[in-house]
Amino acid sequence: MILTGAAISEAVAVGDIVIQPFTSAYVGPNSYDFRLGDRCLTYNERTLDSALSNAAQCQIVPPSGLVLEPGRLYLFNTEETMGSTKYVPIIRGRSSVARLGVFINITADLIDIGSINQWTLQLHAVNPTRVYPGMLIGQVTFWRTQGTVELYSGKYRDRTSPVPSLLYLDFASERSADGKG
Amino acid sequence: MGQQVILTGAAIREGVVSGDIVIEPFDDSATNPNSYSYRLGNTLLHIGNGPAFTVDRSGYVLLPGNLYLGHTKEILGSHKYAMTLLGRSSTGRLGLFVNVTADLGHVGSLGQWTLELRCVQPLRIYPGCRIGQIAFWATSGPLVQYDGRYALDLGPIENRDDSLEHSGRVGAQMPSTKEQR
Repeated sequence: MILTGAAISEAVAVGDIVIQPFTSAYVGPNSYDFRLGDRCLTYNERTLDSALSNAAQCQIVPPSGLVLEPGRLYLFNTEETMGSTKYVPIIRGRSSVARLGVFINITADLIDIGSINQWTLQLHAVNPTRVYPGMLIGQVTFWRTQGTVELYSGKYRDRTSPVPSLLYLDFASERSADGKG
Repeated sequence: MGQQVILTGAAIREGVVSGDIVIEPFDDSATNPNSYSYRLGNTLLHIGNGPAFTVDRSGYVLLPGNLYLGHTKEILGSHKYAMTLLGRSSTGRLGLFVNVTADLGHVGSLGQWTLELRCVQPLRIYPGCRIGQIAFWATSGPLVQYDGRYALDLGPIENRDDSLEHSGRVGAQMPSTKEQR
């Protein structure tokens, strides 16, 4: 069951949902619109490897914005710190942004319950598109759960900047677990 | 009663024990706060470019602009819950899509799920990698079990949409799609 905008506002008031800073004008009928942060991370190499730590550089995007080029991945932080210890957040772009051909995530729209931080957005564009820090880029919905809640304690917690993929840590831990080196 | 609520990790675990959820093989350490991380199987199909092939431990580089069908290593499904099949944020941060806007799994679907792999930048992937996650949703209303054309699949399965073939628009080897979900 998805929370209505009124339920999101109530949950923020009692602390079941964290949205900081929170602006009531950005509450929609069943979601909250969040802003694009000003930090953008891009990988140094064009070809990436899931099993390796792919070197990346972070830049501060000025108010004049940044043009996203097709065929390249841009990891941004959200301006807001967001999360919930009670509801499951699911993020998506705003239709206004999608109509420009800008993806803000890549098939991973589900946020773990208990993951409360600035989230890393995966931007990529169909056509060259200029984006600006602080623009309303996406929306978050909140969903009720069934079952005992166990909070997220994974590798991306407590972040305030975009974080590159840490998938290679899985490979490292599985190598040590199976003893094959 | 459930009203489209999402199952927590603890509820997924209970569902596996009771048989309401099938995840085979099941590894408890891959259970997340509100999803389960599945592995990539070792068979790939590069659409429009020959038959399916096996990927060994050295991996395979996906190239942008192409569509590849992969599959989950696990047999996944449920006769009770609806499912959404997603990427993980770790794979999204590498620019890898694991589906093409069809993330919903029918109640009653059971098999190795076909993944629609598409990348933003060239990316080396490896069989056995925990590439995505599956979430389970309680439903409301009487259940009708899926018995469609992709039931009990193993490996990546191309499009089986007879309606397109009958209209003469799609041949057997045409770029095509996937599980009806």
